Amino acid sequence: MAEELVLDTAIRDWVLIPLSVVMVLIGILRYFVSKLMRSSQVPDVKIVKEGQVIVRARNLRAAANFIPAKSFRARRFYYSNEENGLLFVPKGQSQNAQAQMFSDPNMAMDMMKKNLSMIIPQTLTFAWVNFFFSGFVAAKIPFPLTQRFRSMLQNGIDLSTVDVSYVSSRSWYFLNLFGLRGLFSLILGEENATDDTQRMMQMSGFGVDPTKSLGAEKDGLDIVQHDWALPKFEQRAESVLRKLVH
Amino acid sequence: MVTKTEEAQLSRLESQVDNGGGGAWDFLCLVRKLKVRRSDKVLKHGLSLLKDPRKRSALGPDEWTLYEQVAIAAIDCHSLEVAKDCIKALQKRFPESKRVGRLEGMLLEAKGSWSEAEKAYSSLLEENPFDQVVHKRKIAMAKAQGNITVAIELLNKYLETFMADHDAWRELAEIYVSLQMYKQAAFCYEELILSQPTNPLYHLTYADVLYTIGGQENLQTAKKYYASTIQLTGGKNRRALFGVCLCTSAISQLSKGRNKEDNGTELQSLAATALEKDYKQRAPDKLQLLTSALKSLRVSS
Repeated sequence: MAEELVLDTAIRDWVLIPLSVVMVLIGILRYFVSKLMRSSQVPDVKIVKEGQVIVRARNLRAAANFIPAKSFRARRFYYSNEENGLLFVPKGQSQNAQAQMFSDPNMAMDMMKKNLSMIIPQTLTFAWVNFFFSGFVAAKIPFPLTQRFRSMLQNGIDLSTVDVSYVSSRSWYFLNLFGLRGLFSLILGEENATDDTQRMMQMSGFGVDPTKSLGAEKDGLDIVQHDWALPKFEQRAESVLRKLVH
Repeated sequence: MVTKTEEAQLSRLESQVDNGGGGAWDFLCLVRKLKVRRSDKVLKHGLSLLKDPRKRSALGPDEWTLYEQVAIAAIDCHSLEVAKDCIKALQKRFPESKRVGRLEGMLLEAKGSWSEAEKAYSSLLEENPFDQVVHKRKIAMAKAQGNITVAIELLNKYLETFMADHDAWRELAEIYVSLQMYKQAAFCYEELILSQPTNPLYHLTYADVLYTIGGQENLQTAKKYYASTIQLTGGKNRRALFGVCLCTSAISQLSKGRNKEDNGTELQSLAATALEKDYKQRAPDKLQLLTSALKSLRVSS
């Protein structure tokens, strides 16, 4: 068992606390900056309509058996005929999201703004932490942990003999970066918390091609076998009534 | 849809608030959440909350939500002065807000200055052409003025974009029924059944519309939908029971005994018995009327 490391109280006063305070302040600042830069974007008519078409077509597919066969066939034709069906996407017209982004400078601009408010402060603070606080053992967790946590808690210290419950300053930065969400939602209100992890998810989700989902919906609709459920209902109604009468 | 437990909670809170037991804010929140129409109560209790500065400041940012709610309730109750005050307070807090602009449009509407309201809504739509509420207000305005054809036109245009909005489909269906355009109404009800296949009310109204259109095929289909309504409601819906009886007799009249071995007579006699039993339990004095009515349909068992 290695001997206990004694952490200088000056480390607490000059590393641990300033780091946490700065992280909180930066989070709040970023919230206000992104609020300033946020522009209300007007969605494209086509995109809104496509979303609605997909919902309606999905309803049709799910509940096809509840309407008469004639009505179903009429609707299917309406959605997926090869001339002007709602779900039919002519070949070549399906522009992908990438191309759309280049053709619409507003979209690129928006992405830029989002990125700026996220990446610039992050790189700056990371550089700042690295420059001033690298190599400190900043805190100790009051319970022992397994070796697996070493990479999470002792980022920046390449010593395998240090007990895992010690936290390096850089790791403290990361813990703050991802762990302050609860505090932000307290300070800024429930929905306003800037959640980095969620935003990263959004970023990676960008670039879904809406025309692809239209095509998929059309294929799904084409193979639906219509089997009218209502005749069965008649028999079931009979049994329900029989129970009620007797 | 308001579930039974929610409804019970609402009425409990309502009586509690009415008898001065407090909990006005909870009641108002529930009304807002369930989107029920209790404008008189909302106006009364919301206004008393707003007039008490201490209670009002205790709400925090929800104060403005309350202002909006009370404003809409006041417009509904035609206390335009109250609505005006609320909207003014909101305007002071949120200048250039579209949501407040919507309220102003509604106030103009309530005053009956249609053209001004129209102008307000149009300018709102110019800023954001996807504001569904404003679209719906415009449609409602056309309907209120009696321009049913304009309302239909607007609704159709609205549904072209927002075609997954089943409330709009329902509105359109009801307008078509009121104009006796049953084929179009039937289409709308099919759309509603698609969006909520287990809602018996849509099955029932669809059956009504089909029965009204008439014709052998439609009557058969109507009967099936009445049957499905019976199944979905557990036989509790009297209208559906009557519907089955009416459909069967209409079908037998049309076919004039061409195919006697109709398989639906079983269902019909069962429906008739269920009706008789129900009347015996709930309204014994009207049983006479029922039996004579059923006899005239020649379905009495």
